[in-house]
Amino acid sequence: MKIESWLFGTGVFFFVPVSIVYGFLTDWKEWVGILGILLVGGLAGMIGAYLGFTGKRVGMRPEDRDDAEIHEGAGEQGHFSPWSWWPLVLGLACAGGFLGLAVGFWILFVAAGLAVVALVGWVFEYSRGDHAH
Amino acid sequence: MVSVGTVVWLSSELMFFAGLFAMYFTLRSTSGELWSEETAKLNFPFALVNTIVLVLSSFTCQMGVFAAERLQPRRSGGLFQFARWGMNEWFILTFLMGAFFVAGQSTEYAMLTSEHVTLNANAYGSAFYMTTGFHGLHVIGGLIAFLFILGRSFAAKKFGHFEATSAIVTSYYWHFVDVVWIGLFLVIYVLK
Repeated sequence: MKIESWLFGTGVFFFVPVSIVYGFLTDWKEWVGILGILLVGGLAGMIGAYLGFTGKRVGMRPEDRDDAEIHEGAGEQGHFSPWSWWPLVLGLACAGGFLGLAVGFWILFVAAGLAVVALVGWVFEYSRGDHAH
Repeated sequence: MVSVGTVVWLSSELMFFAGLFAMYFTLRSTSGELWSEETAKLNFPFALVNTIVLVLSSFTCQMGVFAAERLQPRRSGGLFQFARWGMNEWFILTFLMGAFFVAGQSTEYAMLTSEHVTLNANAYGSAFYMTTGFHGLHVIGGLIAFLFILGRSFAAKKFGHFEATSAIVTSYYWHFVDVVWIGLFLVIYVLK
């Protein structure tokens, strides 16, 4: 995962110096740009460092080698939901929430209740019923 | 997979807070004397205790993650044998510490309001409540996430990687919110 790590991580070496240069050019008075650019460096560093640590932990993957075969990457990739209604319910709750802000505040309470139902439904979808384990 | 997505999302959260920090510093550099008058009203020791509790909660959270990685949801010893605690015990402790922080924050808001530092009073009030308030909302979101993780853990007859993964990404979020608070604390209470 070295390549992924560098792809994101090198942003640090660009954005941090650029934010300092920006600071000098604006006499350290324009803080939106200074902090914005500096923390884009933080964003790049966060993802880069995380991928670097993960790369150290998992070691060489098949996709890191030129001579790897497709079947070497076979096996369990993680947990993926085949389908679910809950994102739709949560989306409706969010839409209702914004409708409430725009039209009438009381709608917000109905939407908040629906959001609680949707979140609980989504989080526990694979922990109960047929999927209880 | 889930953890990579979480880190990418957290990096976008960093930019959200970048906007809040930028707002704070911009208002500070354009408000002149207002800052020194208003920051004198802050209760530094109180905020420091609150900060220490939140930082320590990151450590208890990490202990819960280690337990989750061992796939151990429950304690295997007595209540005070901390070394044998499972994920549930550590996460409940983390939840209580996070709740302590939110309660402390609310108390601080009440104290500052009594000294006429409010959201609509002046630029300092706006900057203070917007930055700490959005951070507080994130902490409350984290507390809700801990309840969900505990719920999943209690619902599972067999605590497996499915439960552990969600516990680990929740800890990423909690550490992130903690680090943001350290930044806010330094900017608001130390730098003044």
